[in-house]
Amino acid sequence: MKKILVVEDEKMLGLLYEEELTKEGYEVVVVHDADAAMDRVKSEQFDLIVTDIRMPGKDGIELIASIMGMRKDIPIIINTAYQSYKDDFMTWAADAYIIKSSSLDELKEKIKELLQES
Amino acid sequence: MPELRKDMVTGRWVILSTERSKRPDDFRPPESFGVKKESLSFCPFCPGNESKTPPEVYSVRDDHTGPNQPGWKIRVVPNKFPALQPGPPSTKKLRGVNQWMEGTGVHEVIIETPDHSQEMADLELEHLAELIRVFRLRTIEIEEQYHHQYIQIFKNKGKEAGASLFHPHSQLIATPIVPKRIKEEIYGAERLFRNNFRECAFCRMLNEEMSSSERLVYRNERFVVLAPFASRFPFEMAIYPLEHSAFFRQITDEESRHLAEALKQALSRLKAQLSDPAFNLVVHHSPNPKVSNKAWPGIDSYYHWHIELMPILTKVAGFELGTGFYINPVPPELAADYLRKKLRIKS
Repeated sequence: MKKILVVEDEKMLGLLYEEELTKEGYEVVVVHDADAAMDRVKSEQFDLIVTDIRMPGKDGIELIASIMGMRKDIPIIINTAYQSYKDDFMTWAADAYIIKSSSLDELKEKIKELLQES
Repeated sequence: MPELRKDMVTGRWVILSTERSKRPDDFRPPESFGVKKESLSFCPFCPGNESKTPPEVYSVRDDHTGPNQPGWKIRVVPNKFPALQPGPPSTKKLRGVNQWMEGTGVHEVIIETPDHSQEMADLELEHLAELIRVFRLRTIEIEEQYHHQYIQIFKNKGKEAGASLFHPHSQLIATPIVPKRIKEEIYGAERLFRNNFRECAFCRMLNEEMSSSERLVYRNERFVVLAPFASRFPFEMAIYPLEHSAFFRQITDEESRHLAEALKQALSRLKAQLSDPAFNLVVHHSPNPKVSNKAWPGIDSYYHWHIELMPILTKVAGFELGTGFYINPVPPELAADYLRKKLRIKS
């Protein structure tokens, strides 16, 4: 079973991602900030990471940079409500940039696509 | 008393503070200003991380290396998250009284050097000349392949100028229409040619500037660096080819070397005299010849391509946004005098 780490500071959204992605057949771990995400990445193997950008403490871009410093081979999806971070070239470290919406179809599609590639 | 000056080509007015309430030294930004070499442990533009960018469309690299591998000197890649979606130019449509069109274009990033910490001003002359050749080649390729109307080559350096990454890079966006600023320059130059000078207004201005020298920062055989008469920003500079040409795409290899020298002089002076401020650099040139020769017959006689270099030392605020008037607290004569100071520049 493929294992996904979801970094999402809004707890309700985190629960929704956990439920929806579990239904898709993935093992899902949800954390609510970048530090917790780094702790999990250091100690566990993930096949893919989905991260928000705007979060209390370190933001998603700093988190991605830290992960890339350790491992460049984990596919990462940026999942944010903001289009404007596309101007930040650090987001290129991610494999996909998705704007949050009420439907999770695009996110699920992208996860499937990246896991097939990896 | 402040002085109002008009840019003869665009018709834009500026307010210059001639009271010199601030000395050039007052514009040195604090140490914390600008994007410093970030502490982040990863850079998508550094060698070894080629897989994090879209596949390169052009590169200058060692013979024995393949595309999308280390071994490059200059690398051009499509923007992973472009401002305009790749595709042929669309056509204008109407929605009620408003015009709109699909946002297609080309958005490329030119990674100037594999060295994360080497700024454009620090590049060796031959490398800088190579970079200018890459700008030219990409302009020709995109104009011929995609038929977009205008190609804006630009560089944002430093956070205040809109840069998000320290690793030296420029960008290129091909747009399906000719932007308003460019049209203003073309129409202004055409009007001055037809009604006033019967010659290129830029060439006329360059002759005057070179005889007075008061706003001259640097010149070599082929290029001149000036503080424009109606500078919008403190220490603004413009680089012009001395030989008349409307089309940047026509720059020769020899001219590229001279432009590299002029550009290095301008950037190094900015860096040394003003503590390395953030800046925007833009190339203004004639639109795609297929478009401009039809829309503006004779453009090759009256338009003159150039580079504008705008340090970010003051903030553009409500008055400027509301009126299009700029307030510049440093007269260009004072700026040029300060920037001309002797400088030892490594080639």
